[in-house]
Amino acid sequence: MPIPKGPGVQRSVSPLQPSSHRLVNVIIDGNAVSVPEGTLVVEAAKALGTSVPVYCYHPKMDPVGLCRICLVEIEKMPKLQIACSTRVSEGMVVHTMSERVAEARRGVLEFLLLNHPLDCPICDKGGECDLQDFTMSYGPGASRLNEPKLHKPKAVDLGPTIVLDEERCILCRRCTRFDAEIAQERNLVVVERGHRSLIGTENGGAYTSYFSGNTTEICPVGALTSKPYRFRSRPWDLGHTDSICNQCPVGCNFRIDTRFGRIMRTFTRENTSVDDGWICDRGRYTFNYLYQPSRLRQPLVRRGGEFVAASFDEAIAASAGPLAAAAQTGRVGVIGGGRLSDEEAFSLQRFARQVLHTNNIDHRAGAQRLASPARYQARLEDLDDASLILIFGALTPEQAPILDLRLRRAVARRHAKLLFVGPYRPWFAVPCNYIEYTPGAIGDLMNQLSDVVHHGREEKGDGFVSEIANELVGAEKIIAIHNGRDADAAGALDRLMDTLHQYDHPVGILVVGSQANSRGAEAAGCIPNLSPAYIPVDDPGMTTHQMLTAAAEGKLDALFIAGANPALTYPDGLLVRRALDSVPFLAVAEQLMTETAAVADVVFAASSFAEKSGHLTNLEGRRQAFKAAVEPPVGVFSDLQIFSALASALGREGVIAADADAAFAQLRAAEDLIRRARGGQTSLPRPQTDDVSDLHSGDAVDATHHTLAIIPVPRLYGGGGAAAYDPGVAPMRPEPFAVIHPDDAVRLGLDSGDRVQLSGRGGSIEVEAKIADQAPPGVALVLADMPQAPVNRLLDASGFGSATAQKLRAEERLRGELGSSSVAVGDGYAAAGAGV
Amino acid sequence: MAAFEPVLTKGIGELDLADIDVYKQHGGFSALEKALKEMTPEAIVGEVSASNLRGRGGAGFPTGKKWSFLPKDGRPRYLVCNCDEAEPGTFKDHMLLRLTPFAIIEGLIISAYAINASHVVMYIRGEFLEGYRIFKRALAAASAAGYLGKDIMGSGFTMELILHRGAGAYICGEETAMLESIEGKRGEPRLKPPFPANAGLYGMPTVVNNVETLCCVPHIINRGAGWFSAIGPPKCPGPKIISVSGNVANPGNYEIPMGISARELLEEYAGGLLPGRRLKAIQPGGGSSAAIFEEDLNVGIDFDSLAAKKTMLGSGGFVVMDDRTCLVRASQTLVRFFEHESCGQCTPCREGGQWVARMVGRLEAGEGSVNDLRVLGVINNTITGTNLCPLGDSIMPFLSSVLRRFPEEFAAHVQQAGCPFQKAPEFSAA
Ligand SMILES: Cc1cc2nc3c(=O)[nH]c(=O)nc-3n(C[C@H](O)[C@H](O)[C@H](O)COP(=O)(O)O)c2cc1C
Ligand code: SF4
Ligand code: SF4
Ligand code: SF4
Ligand code: FES
Repeated sequence: MPIPKGPGVQRSVSPLQPSSHRLVNVIIDGNAVSVPEGTLVVEAAKALGTSVPVYCYHPKMDPVGLCRICLVEIEKMPKLQIACSTRVSEGMVVHTMSERVAEARRGVLEFLLLNHPLDCPICDKGGECDLQDFTMSYGPGASRLNEPKLHKPKAVDLGPTIVLDEERCILCRRCTRFDAEIAQERNLVVVERGHRSLIGTENGGAYTSYFSGNTTEICPVGALTSKPYRFRSRPWDLGHTDSICNQCPVGCNFRIDTRFGRIMRTFTRENTSVDDGWICDRGRYTFNYLYQPSRLRQPLVRRGGEFVAASFDEAIAASAGPLAAAAQTGRVGVIGGGRLSDEEAFSLQRFARQVLHTNNIDHRAGAQRLASPARYQARLEDLDDASLILIFGALTPEQAPILDLRLRRAVARRHAKLLFVGPYRPWFAVPCNYIEYTPGAIGDLMNQLSDVVHHGREEKGDGFVSEIANELVGAEKIIAIHNGRDADAAGALDRLMDTLHQYDHPVGILVVGSQANSRGAEAAGCIPNLSPAYIPVDDPGMTTHQMLTAAAEGKLDALFIAGANPALTYPDGLLVRRALDSVPFLAVAEQLMTETAAVADVVFAASSFAEKSGHLTNLEGRRQAFKAAVEPPVGVFSDLQIFSALASALGREGVIAADADAAFAQLRAAEDLIRRARGGQTSLPRPQTDDVSDLHSGDAVDATHHTLAIIPVPRLYGGGGAAAYDPGVAPMRPEPFAVIHPDDAVRLGLDSGDRVQLSGRGGSIEVEAKIADQAPPGVALVLADMPQAPVNRLLDASGFGSATAQKLRAEERLRGELGSSSVAVGDGYAAAGAGV
Repeated sequence: MAAFEPVLTKGIGELDLADIDVYKQHGGFSALEKALKEMTPEAIVGEVSASNLRGRGGAGFPTGKKWSFLPKDGRPRYLVCNCDEAEPGTFKDHMLLRLTPFAIIEGLIISAYAINASHVVMYIRGEFLEGYRIFKRALAAASAAGYLGKDIMGSGFTMELILHRGAGAYICGEETAMLESIEGKRGEPRLKPPFPANAGLYGMPTVVNNVETLCCVPHIINRGAGWFSAIGPPKCPGPKIISVSGNVANPGNYEIPMGISARELLEEYAGGLLPGRRLKAIQPGGGSSAAIFEEDLNVGIDFDSLAAKKTMLGSGGFVVMDDRTCLVRASQTLVRFFEHESCGQCTPCREGGQWVARMVGRLEAGEGSVNDLRVLGVINNTITGTNLCPLGDSIMPFLSSVLRRFPEEFAAHVQQAGCPFQKAPEFSAA
């Protein structure tokens, strides 16, 4: 039977969308209110400040009407009705506090409590539990249960992040519906039937969603608990601080909950425009690295080749001389800003420009070159009513998970189409059409598209070019997402959007960068040719690539790197290693002993986001404030304090504010000045980029030899820094891998699970082979930024590379393992062998 | 007996109606021919509406009305035949399936034509393996004879019939749970609205009808709405198959004209009680219905008369219990059934059912308390009418009705710390 597609498949409309804009009058408990026709009774009551208890209902999900706690009396209806799914109509009279309603609520609570364990005294949820709270407010005074309680499994290990107590579960199904409706993953399900029902996974395996932590929040009881938070605190002992997640450029709003000056957990803080009330697990669980022994807790200065602990003043003194000397000759460079706050990024470029007197400042520590679109900046909310979402290369599920959640909703429930253009076919949770296109050629593709769109639908370009063009022309609102790596392609995309815009398509662009605040750093002037707010400088300095090249060639005397780890993330691994080895003086401000810090002469221990206040600018260009939740350890200073102290030591006292408010005031003043000077002019100058197009031509793929083109692929829990050291993230951490096409696997004699050595221009790495046709023939997709197998050894500055592949035999493997222990993995939890 | 001629069961037991030729020789497919060749779909819907046919699946919803609710918006429509018959004490659809499958097929094609559904799903209870095989053969024969598929009988109407076997869950008989089951999901009722007429199978407009309902349709086409509505009470007329079981002389399926009294059904059709026995209770509409008693025997067997007695015709399972029946044990059997079959979505049905089952089980085992009796007396208030689908509302009616009528029998289980009927093991429960 043909299964029809389209609007019919969705059974009910979102609770947030009443069926019309017509207002109707309803009376709830004697109070009149006008709400749009079709509003749910529970929401109408909310408008009056009346709360109707709910368990299964959640404002972000379709009402299902299961738990029956929300029964209310509606005049002219003989039976009690559920407030969570009954929609108001003109003249409706509702009673939420009548004796009939009270009896029904007592009944439901009595049923829920029948077999509920007496865990409240040790339950994580105690104090913020809807079963406790509603029992207090509406429950029966005494139990009539006359028999032993029924038992179900307790402390079930549901996956790397969640422990489930089946006895506490009230089967409201918020968690399973979250997984199906919001995450679109459908792995968390109800198994068994009736009162024997249990929560489990569809595939029988672990619940490994990137969004799993949200279920612990929406679970109305203590059934789903977060592993890192279990038995850590009672809710009433927690202090709350409003913060912003700094793990990716989405900038989800969240709350940091602390006890005894230590972070216990993070919690969503709904901002409908940004996160819609969810955060991802990377954001939620990456904070315990702060409490690991590997956390830098005091400055280090290299003496006789070894690091020795130093005081802050000693570290400042050790840096001031070399930096001042290098500044004198102009042979100095500064890298960083993309992982700092707006005020710190501003202060860092100010430090470069006003203290070191150089424009050699660049926040770009990886392959990303642009953090903002030149025109058509989209908002995240623009995805909601997009009809076509066009992704160029960006892996939104891995690089911007909460953006991806919005994208999933747009595609699965609002009928947007998803089109991915890139060198392979990455996984998406929702249906996606793929256009496989060689890196470097995407600019051409977009120029062709622009051409075809411009000339109407005539058959121009090759088959699929006109196919995509037709998609574009047929769509209403078009949102493009790219990763800011290919400046030429971005320019071509801008022109394509111009053309579409000209033909009345609402268009928008989002850039998903690889650093949380690259957008803020770009705007704050951490760019060699741009001062704050995109004002061109007269005498542009060096880009990261140019600085590294200069350093490698002995033309730079000092480098200062703050909150960046180019040793691992800069694509040309060979160059960065030579540069860091050759530069006479390297100072690094870091939280952890990264690959970059490890080769520095001075390392400052810097505070984390939880330990300072400031602002972050997300990928929409939205600036959001965050507040310090805890004190940094003694000996740890904020980047701002470090920059300020360095400036003073270099004789420029007061130029860099040591305090975030003052730095913010300076930043705002600079922006205001510029805004006034600029007037109505909107087209901004663009960051200067390197021409690396000539770099990725050399190593053509030769299928007869053991050579593979290398494309690095990011993973949410991959990367160095915090994720590498956090015990909360450790169970989810992937092992280095290379996805290789089955045809190549045959040629190379590889099976899935084999160890394979990939050797390229900057050395070799050892990874696990995964054989799948997700990789195009001749290509290896290699997990990016892993300290124990840095893919940048194989890449050039373009971000791509090539390598010869060699299967490792058992004895070589052993040797390899012994020999490759050069990089420390996170302490605390043992690194588990999580898959892709 | 009245001058009522069986309609739906005519020929059953005498003829091999599972043979397409026999079925045709006795008038089979004549209604289909008439419908396709002489009538428009609208005319058929009109005729069925005028006949006042009410659904035989349990709820008694007017069939013509259900059909006319389908929105005219050009979306594909589906017809689903509900042959999941699992209501305790009901075995009429199973009989129709095995003994007169072509009548179902004929009814299905006419109904599909009437509502313009080109895909029909026949949902057969998993346990009906023999019936499934018979029906499958019948389907092949009907297809070979050109009654199914493209351009049926030259009418231009095309219809495909899909067989779907259930996997043994009672709840899949509930129409929206059935749709979920067909879609390959857990068989769990959906929240309504939207109703299947608007968003049914795969979100498309869908009609779900019972086997017996559909079997009435060819006769309405052949003999007219007037003939049908003249049988029995005008608001719920027609022939009706009643499955009589329990302590009667002749248990079995009986086709009656709607509206005859319970007494007539019991005595004239089913041969009365067994010698020397006294009537204790009857479930007139399957396991979900409240009991009627000796004093109620004049009630008419039809939707409205039974509803007036606070019980229901339901699926037409007429379960008779005589004085040897322990009503606590009978209640236990039923409650355990519902507790086991609850899909578990709703709190009152899931938790309440489980609790009641434990309490009644305890009573029967002689471990009950006065507290249990007190709770059983009032728990109806919080279990019944508070759930998403009618299964939750089926847990208590029988128990409440017999507890109200025979409180002393329940009390005796507590006082004697055991079942007074233990010494009469031949008693029969539902
Ligand atoms: C728990 C439950 C079980 C049901 N089982 C059946 C069944 O086995 N057969 C049936 O025809 N209807 C059953 N129904 C009724 C159906 O939901 C539906 O009302 C019926 O199939 C409609 O057909 P009709 O209008 O022809 O009666 C059941 C309802 C409930 C709530
Ligand atoms: S685990 Fe929590 S959210 Fe999930 S069904 Fe149970 S109570 Fe609801
Ligand atoms: S999506 Fe990004 S900003 Fe949001 S919680 Fe995850 S890592 Fe943090
Ligand atoms: S009433 Fe019972 S069977 Fe029906 S939906 Fe609710 S839990 Fe499931
Ligand atoms: S909140 Fe309404 S039924 Fe659960």
